[in-house]
Amino acid sequence: MPENRDPVVHLDRGFWIATTVMSVLALLAIVFWVEVPITGLMPEAVDKAQQIDALFRFLAATGTALWIFVCGFILYFALKFRRHAGTPENAVGVQIHDNNKLEMWWTIIPTVFVIVMAFFSIKIWAGIEFAPNNTLVVEALGRQWYYTFRYPNVNGEVKEMHLPLGQAVTLQVSSYDVIHSFWIPAMRLKADMVPGMINTLEFTPTRAGKYEIICTEFCGTFHGEMHSGTNQNPAYVYIDTPAQYSAWYARTQRQQATASNAISVPSTSQLNLAGGDAKAGAAVFSAKCSACHAIGPFDQRIVGPGLKGVLYDPAHPDLVNGQKATPENVAKILQNGFKGSLGQMPNQAQNGLTNKDIVNLVAYLKTLK
Amino acid sequence: MAAITASVNAGGGLADHIHPEPQGFFRKYVFSIDHKIIGIQYMITAFLFMILGGMLAELIRVQLMKASGGIMTPDTYNEVYSVHGSTMVWLVIIPLLTGGFGNLIFPVQIGARDVAFPWLNMLSFWLFPPAGLMLYASFLMGAPTAGWTEYPPMSLQGAAGTSMWAAAIFLIGVSSTMTGINFLVTILKMRAPGMTFTRMPLFVWGQFVTAPLLMIATTALGAALAALFVQRQFGVAFFDPTRGGSPLLWQHMFWFYSHPAVYIMILPAFGIISEVLPTFSRKPIFGYKMIAFSSCAIAILGFMVWAHHMFTSGLAPALQLPFMVLTMLIAIPTGIKIFSWVATLWGGVIRMTTSMMFALGFLATFTLGGITGVFLAAVPFDLHVHGTYFIVAHLHYVLVGGSLMGVLAGLFYWYPKMTGRLMNEKLGHWAFWLFFIGFNGTFLPMHWLGIWGQPRRVAVYDPQFQGWNQVASWFSFVMTAALVLVLFNALWSIRRGKKSGPNPWNARTLEWQIPSPMPYYNFKHVPSVFAAPYDFAEPLPYKGLEEELKGGPPPVPAAH
Ligand code: HEM
Ligand SMILES: [Cu+2]
Repeated sequence: MPENRDPVVHLDRGFWIATTVMSVLALLAIVFWVEVPITGLMPEAVDKAQQIDALFRFLAATGTALWIFVCGFILYFALKFRRHAGTPENAVGVQIHDNNKLEMWWTIIPTVFVIVMAFFSIKIWAGIEFAPNNTLVVEALGRQWYYTFRYPNVNGEVKEMHLPLGQAVTLQVSSYDVIHSFWIPAMRLKADMVPGMINTLEFTPTRAGKYEIICTEFCGTFHGEMHSGTNQNPAYVYIDTPAQYSAWYARTQRQQATASNAISVPSTSQLNLAGGDAKAGAAVFSAKCSACHAIGPFDQRIVGPGLKGVLYDPAHPDLVNGQKATPENVAKILQNGFKGSLGQMPNQAQNGLTNKDIVNLVAYLKTLK
Repeated sequence: MAAITASVNAGGGLADHIHPEPQGFFRKYVFSIDHKIIGIQYMITAFLFMILGGMLAELIRVQLMKASGGIMTPDTYNEVYSVHGSTMVWLVIIPLLTGGFGNLIFPVQIGARDVAFPWLNMLSFWLFPPAGLMLYASFLMGAPTAGWTEYPPMSLQGAAGTSMWAAAIFLIGVSSTMTGINFLVTILKMRAPGMTFTRMPLFVWGQFVTAPLLMIATTALGAALAALFVQRQFGVAFFDPTRGGSPLLWQHMFWFYSHPAVYIMILPAFGIISEVLPTFSRKPIFGYKMIAFSSCAIAILGFMVWAHHMFTSGLAPALQLPFMVLTMLIAIPTGIKIFSWVATLWGGVIRMTTSMMFALGFLATFTLGGITGVFLAAVPFDLHVHGTYFIVAHLHYVLVGGSLMGVLAGLFYWYPKMTGRLMNEKLGHWAFWLFFIGFNGTFLPMHWLGIWGQPRRVAVYDPQFQGWNQVASWFSFVMTAALVLVLFNALWSIRRGKKSGPNPWNARTLEWQIPSPMPYYNFKHVPSVFAAPYDFAEPLPYKGLEEELKGGPPPVPAAH
C-alpha cells in the first residue's frame, strides 16, 4: 500500500500566513482601483461616463482581488506541496474527493457576487438606455472613411460635431455603406452605425473640450484612420459653452443654406459583371465620364487619371483607392465614388449611373488595353 | 452484417470489434482509419498551420511597432490579421483539441478499440488540409479583410478571396460536424463494460459536452457561410439593407455558432487540465461531479449568450438584459471549476513536470481571461471597450492563455503515448517560462490600450500608444521563440527522447495501462471498469488488463 499523507484537512499556520498576505494584496488592489484618477488619463465628458467608470472600478477591484487569491493559492500550494527529492515514487497526496461545505460556499459566494454585479450593471444600464426625452437630436452618419452630421434646421450634412454643454442629446447614428461604430472614449459610449438602421445614444455633455471620435468596427482599407490621428478628415466632437454653440450653430446654418439636403445613398451591392456590353459602355463613358477622364495613359489627367489600360497597366497595378485593379474593384469605385489626392469622383447616384451602365462601363474599360 | 452482429454480442459491445491492421505505408499512415493515426495527422497538420498563423501574427506585431504602420499597406495588413484569426480558430485550436487530442486519447480512455465510424473519421480529417490550403490560396486572389468574423456588408466588398474563405470555413464546418457525431456516438455507445458516466475520465467529459456543440452550432455557421457565399456570387440580398436584407442577420447566425465555438475551444482544454492536475498532484480531482456537471452547464448556457457580442449593434433593450444576465451566470460554473482545480493541489505530492507547469499557467491566465469576460458581460462597460484592444486582450487570454496552454500541457503529457518517448523536460521548462512571460507581456498591455482608445483591426494608430505596442511586439517575439522551442523539442524527442515505458507519470486512466506508443488494436481484451479513475491510493479500478503489456497482437475472432 502506498504511503498516505495525513488525510485530515489541516489549515496550518503557513496557510493562514499566505491567506493574510493575499488579503493584504487584494485590499491594496481594491484601494488602487477605487483611488486611481481615471479622469486624469481619460476625461469624463458626459454624465454617464462617471457611472460607467464607477462600474469599471467595481469590476476591476473585485476582479483583481479574486485573481490575486486564485494565483496566490496556486503559488502557495505549488511551493508547499511540491514533491521533495527523497519522496518515494508511489507517494500519494491526501485522498479527498470533495467537501460539500466548501463547494457550497464557493457556489453561493460567486452567485451572490454575480447578483450584486448584475444589479449594479442593470441600474447603470437602465440610466443609459432610458434617458429624458426633451433633447437635442443630432444625427451622425458613417461613410468610408469619415463621419458627417445632421442638425435640426441645418441644410445638408456638416463635417464637425458640436454639442452644447449641459444639454441632453440624443445621437442617432447610421451608415451609408458598411457597418461603422461610433465611439467617443471620453464619453465611454459607443453605438454601431448599421446601414438601414438607426441606433441611438443618449447623454448630457458635462465637460467642455475637444474629444476624439473613433471607429471601432472594421470598415475597409482606411478603418484605422477613421479617427483624429492621421486622417485627412479628423473626427472630433467639440463640446462648447451654450454661447459658443449658438454662434457655431448660426454660422453653420448660414453656410449650409444652399447645401442639398439629400445626399444620395450609394449602392454597395455586388454587381454581376458578366455579359456587359462594351459598345453601350463606350457611349456611357463619353456621356458621363469623359469630362474628367481621358482615354490615355494614367498621367494624362483631366481631373481624374487617364484610363487607357486601367486594368492592365503594369506601372499602376492598384487603383487610386489602393485596391488592386480588378473589374470588381473598378465597379466599386463607379458605385461608391472616391475622394483622393486627385479630387472627388462622384458616386453612382450622383453620376446618374444604373447598375447596367456600370456593368457596361466595366466591359468597355476591359477593352482599353 | 452477420459478422458485426456476432462480435457485438460476443463481448463489450461494438468496442470488441477487431480489424486486422492494414498494411502498406498509405493505408497505415495516410488514409488510415485508426483513430490514433488520425489524431496524430490532425495534430501535425494543425501545428503546420500554427506555424503559418504564427508568422502572420508576427507580421501583425512588426507592423504595429510603429504608430504609422511600417511594413504593409493597410489592405495587406487587413488580409494578414483576417487570415491569422481564421487560421488560429479553425485550423489550429479547434482541430488540435477535437480532431487531434480527442481522436488520439478519449477512445482509449473509455476502453474502445476505435471511434464509432472510422471511415467517417478519415473523411473528416481529409477535408481539413484542403480547407486550410483553400484559405491560404485566397491570398492569391485577395484574401478576406474583415477579420475572422467577416461582418457584411463589409465582407461583401471584400475581394474574391472572401468567397474562398467562406467555402474553406464551410468545409471545416462539415468536418467538425462529422467529428462531433462520431465522438458523441462513440462515447454513448462504446464505453467498456462498467465505464459509467461518473467513472469517465474528465477529458472524456470534455469531449462529450463538446460534441453536441460541434454538431449543433456548426450547422448555424454553415447556413451563414452559405448565405454569404450566395450573396457574393449570385447577388441574393440576404445581408443587403437596400434590398430588404439585414446586416445583423449575419451577426446573429455567426455568433450563434461562434459563442458556443469558444467553448468548443475551451471545454476540451478543461478536460486536459483535469487529467494533468490529479496525475501530477497524485490526488483525486477535487469535486469530480461538479467539474463534469459544470461543463454541461457551460455548454448549455453557451447557446444562450451569443448576443453579448452584439451589445453595441442596436440590440433591443429587452434583449440586452437577458443576454447580460445569462452571460454573467456562466461565471458561476466556471468559477466552480477553477476553485476545484486549485483545491486539487491542496495536500498533493506535486511533481513540477512541464505539463504541470503549463496546467498551472493555464489556471492563472485563463482565470484572468474569464474575469475580463465577466467585465464584458456588463453592458455599460462593454459599450466602452467593444471593438477595441481590450477585446483582443480578453480573447487571447482565453484562447492562448486558456486553450493553447491546455494544448501544450496535453502535448507534454501525452507525447509518450504517441511516440514511446518523453519530451525533454529541461527544454520544456525553458519553453514554459519563455511562453508565460512572453504571453503576458504581449497581451496584458492590450487591456489598457483598449480602454484608452486603441481600436482593434487597425494598421495605424494614435502615436501616444506606440510605447505599449512596442512592449507587446517585443514580448511577442519571446512568446514565438517559446513555441519554436516546443516544436524543436517535439521533433528532437521523436528520436532522442528518453524511452518512456507505458506509464511514465504513474497515471491511472486507461490509456496509460497499454504500451507506448499505443498498439493498433488498443486493447487485446476490452477491460471492465469498477471505479472512478483518480483514486491514487487504491489499486487500479480495471479488470482484464493482464495481457496488455505482453508482446503480440490479440487473437482475431474466427468470425472475421
Ligand atoms: C471560456 C472561454 C472563452 C473564450 C474562448 C472566449 C472567446 C471570446 C472571443 C473570441 C471574443 C471576441 C469577439 C470579437 O471578435 O469581437 C469574446 C468576446 C466576449 N466574451 Fe468571451 N470567451 C470566453 C469566455 C468568456 C466568459 C467566461 C465570458 C463571460 C462570463 C465572456 C464574455 C464575452 C463577452 C461579453 C464578449 C463580447 C465582447 C465584445 O465583443 O464587446 N467570454 N470572447
Ligand atoms: Cu468606420
